[in-house]
Amino acid sequence: MKSARQKAMVGKVIVYLILFLLAAFMIVPFLWMLSSSIKSDREVFQMNPFVWIPKNPRWNNYVEIWKRMDFTRYIGNTAFLTVVVTFLQLLTSSFAAYSFAKLHFKHKDKLFLAYIATIAVPWQVYMVPQFIMMSNVFHLNGKLTAMICLQAFSAFGVFMMRQFYMGIPDELCEAARIDGMSEYMIYLKIMLPLSKPSLATLTIFTFVATWNDYLGPLIYLTPNKANWTIQLGIKNSFIGQYSSQYGLLMAASVVSLIPVLIVFLILQKNFVEGVASTGIKG
Amino acid sequence: MSEMKKREETKEVAASNIALIKGREQKERRRTLIALSFIAPNFIGFAVFTLIPVIFAFVLAFTKWDGSNPIQFAGIANFTKLFSDQFFLAALKNTIIYCIGTVPLTLIASLALAILLNQQIRGRGIFRTIAFFPYVASLVAVTAVWKMLFSQSGPVNAILYYIFHVENKDLPQWFVGNLVMVSYILFSVWKFMGYYMVIYLAGLQGISKELYEAASLDGANTWQKFASITWPQLKPTTFFVSVMLTINCFKVFDVATLLAGGDNNTLTVSSTVLVHYIYQKGFIEWDLGYASAVAMVLFLLVLAVTLIQFRGEKNYANS
Amino acid sequence: MKKRKLISAVMACSMVLALAGCGGNGSTPTTQTTTTAETTQTETTTPATTEGQTTTQAEASGDTITLKWAIWDQDATPYWMALKDAYEAKNDNVTIELIDLGSTDYMTVLATQLSGSTSAFDVVTVKDVPGYATLVQKNTIEPLDDYISAANIDLSLYGGATDQITVDGKLYQLPFRNDFWVLFYNKDLFDKAGIDYPTNDMTFEEYDALARQVSSSDFGSSVYGAHYHTWRSAVQLFGVLDGEHSILSGTYDFFKPYYELVLNQETDNICRSFTNLKTEGLHYSAAFSGGDVAMMNMGSWFISTMIANLQSGDYDSSLCGNWAIAKYPHAEGVEAGSTLGTITGIAVTTGASDKDAAWDFVEFVSGTEGAKVMAETGNFPAIMTSEAMDIISSLEGFPQDEQSKAALEVSNLYLEVPYAENVSEINSILDSYHSSIMSGEMTIDEGIAAMNDAIGKILNP
Repeated sequence: MKSARQKAMVGKVIVYLILFLLAAFMIVPFLWMLSSSIKSDREVFQMNPFVWIPKNPRWNNYVEIWKRMDFTRYIGNTAFLTVVVTFLQLLTSSFAAYSFAKLHFKHKDKLFLAYIATIAVPWQVYMVPQFIMMSNVFHLNGKLTAMICLQAFSAFGVFMMRQFYMGIPDELCEAARIDGMSEYMIYLKIMLPLSKPSLATLTIFTFVATWNDYLGPLIYLTPNKANWTIQLGIKNSFIGQYSSQYGLLMAASVVSLIPVLIVFLILQKNFVEGVASTGIKG
Repeated sequence: MSEMKKREETKEVAASNIALIKGREQKERRRTLIALSFIAPNFIGFAVFTLIPVIFAFVLAFTKWDGSNPIQFAGIANFTKLFSDQFFLAALKNTIIYCIGTVPLTLIASLALAILLNQQIRGRGIFRTIAFFPYVASLVAVTAVWKMLFSQSGPVNAILYYIFHVENKDLPQWFVGNLVMVSYILFSVWKFMGYYMVIYLAGLQGISKELYEAASLDGANTWQKFASITWPQLKPTTFFVSVMLTINCFKVFDVATLLAGGDNNTLTVSSTVLVHYIYQKGFIEWDLGYASAVAMVLFLLVLAVTLIQFRGEKNYANS
Repeated sequence: MKKRKLISAVMACSMVLALAGCGGNGSTPTTQTTTTAETTQTETTTPATTEGQTTTQAEASGDTITLKWAIWDQDATPYWMALKDAYEAKNDNVTIELIDLGSTDYMTVLATQLSGSTSAFDVVTVKDVPGYATLVQKNTIEPLDDYISAANIDLSLYGGATDQITVDGKLYQLPFRNDFWVLFYNKDLFDKAGIDYPTNDMTFEEYDALARQVSSSDFGSSVYGAHYHTWRSAVQLFGVLDGEHSILSGTYDFFKPYYELVLNQETDNICRSFTNLKTEGLHYSAAFSGGDVAMMNMGSWFISTMIANLQSGDYDSSLCGNWAIAKYPHAEGVEAGSTLGTITGIAVTTGASDKDAAWDFVEFVSGTEGAKVMAETGNFPAIMTSEAMDIISSLEGFPQDEQSKAALEVSNLYLEVPYAENVSEINSILDSYHSSIMSGEMTIDEGIAAMNDAIGKILNP
């Protein structure tokens, strides 16, 4: 009896040991960001010797970033984009995914494959035709709407949600159908509540992707300074032709990372056993 | 008489059959319409903003175009040029090596991490967030840290020197020559395992607790539980993770330019990858036709791999 | 015939995409965008410069004109505003609207915007020659020859730079900024070693010997005699200074002695290793201002960086405060003062709403008036008048010795990248193999052979 408990103890200790080692390995970049954000530009890349806390920490960097660019505005733009895109993405993806996972129609597999196939095409290839279309047909160049149109209907979300719905037994839907529930109700009353963890995942991914996106805003929003996003603002304000201000860049990056971490910390609570498994029999 | 009756009967049967079929057809059509109504909101946006430009890009592979002047048809000239293009061949080879190394390693690492962080442990949320750090932290920071770890006089080489007694002159240069691919792979596993961990975490929540309880009653050990419950139950998730990993690995770009590119994004024949070459051809040289041709090759490769994975999933679904 | 059909099919596709075409462009020539279904390029593009341009409508009568000007790093670069203010002060009916596209991906963003519509900007700054080649080939900027001859502009003022960017006899941009490479050195380190400073007339052998003399590997106070940034210009282009060789020649055996010079220095610890520089991302400014680099070849733009950072205290003046410049070293038998140049140009877009007004601004910026503004902000104008030179050398913080001032005189200027049809491609191939050679992935001979092979294929397909 005792030895079993001891065994369990040893196991726990090992698990924690592994966790702390991994965590140490993973947290370094964040610590580096924090450390660099209070350094001067020269100190940031100084390697020999590398110091974590500089002699004269420049806390002022965190004040300076608000003066050097219209940070509030960029945060506002980015937050607006992120919220709208994430909302549309969740709604349309989970909707379409239900159909791909649980309903039947001709050429379903082919259409689905077409979805996945577009993910495999690098954006760099169709960016120019897309840009010409967006600016000449839809006249969206420089507008935040352009970013919403491009990011809200991704194939990625559909693919991911479909995979999660595939894991939910068909019998559950069949039973509801026999009870006379319409497909829309099944989606609303059965699938959505069951897919909380996957909705959380999609929210996290869409949020991070939109929040941190650089290339999209670079192409579509650069000419219109009023619509710059955080990433665009940071890069254009602190990376210059001949010299870059890495201290300020890192301070701004730390600030812009905070919302992402908060969102993650809140949403990861959905990854709890039991939420999804109630009522499902494997 | 009886014959007539019979005939009428058959007629009736036929009619009711037709009605039945018609009814079924109608039902079928209704079902299809409902199914499509679910897809429509996403599909319309997707088709207009993504699918059309993608199809256009495919057409471009057979043309010569710089984005401004009229498009000129070029037949398969772009493709014939590909196979004598040293940089393309090098990029293709490097990308494939990178994928072979990165996909399985990341898959295993992220699944292990997810299982570990799905246990009842204190501070689980914090640990999960930390695991997600390398993915969300600023790219400049992530690469700076990685380069620091693997630099000539960095900690990794120090370990080799002090613990494994590698001679000073034999210490590896991690970002040059053959080793550069190893750096890419290790870096990617580290950076992306947190991302795929999140997907696995969500997938793990879909597995019913009762399954494990039943297995425990049968006296199954941890490994048996994993092999007979966790792994098979995670199949759809694993399919998703492996497809996305494959696609994302084939599209590797940032990792290469940041680790080996230097300040003017220059990659050599041993460090170049396909999407970097596409970028180079497309946006530096504005040879969009040729860039599309390179992308076609990449696309066909990914498609082939995905189809194999797709078949794997189908087999699972049927069994 | 089949081909024709296919072409029209492709065209149809592109029509769908560009449905509304250049909606909003109004009067501007739309021939350069995808809407045109012409399959030949030649007949589409002769712009309206010849007809009636020279005597056109007397410069705007009362109506205000707004010119959209594409630039980068607005906040960090004082001359954009200075040029705008100076021009607007002279022309009160014109407003210059600065549009900041950021420096990192400037040429990519600019070319993409112009692919969408050539009227996105009226005047564009052209950051480098590969970018210039792109804009010219995409028919997004106007040839300026007619304007130039009408305005009687003396191109010889540009010291030969314009000849190196002429495309089929036509000039599509005028330079307004010209940076050239000089040798920066840290006087303190020479003093400490008791060695004479570099002179304005050094051969490469003398330069190499000096670098070796001044360097020291004493623990704690090691000094690198030389420093080469990771760009290929810092090494390869020693080879083009004799005026006989060019990076467009297709054979690159003349790079060899210079690769040997630098790689030998690297082996002997005279300079930092290329691989470490690339891995650690050490910026040249950090290297030089760190106080352990005796000599560094770099562009003249670094002069104003040094001055500004020493004044603000970002650079430690006890480490690098006592700096000066000298002329570039040269090959045996070649005149001193030959050096590499990098020009920044300004051009009129083909979709500009008022080309004459746009040209007038281009003429101002690239001319002597613009040159004065540039010099006053501490930058090197493309027209290097003695007045401009005096302004720069009397800037506060500019090295006080006579030699540094004399180092600003350039006898022959070779562009880092002169114009050629495939210059972007050639440029990236040279970049790539430069990295291969410097990092030791290839030997010098292998690398040069690979350059010869790859670029030979482009030049003689």
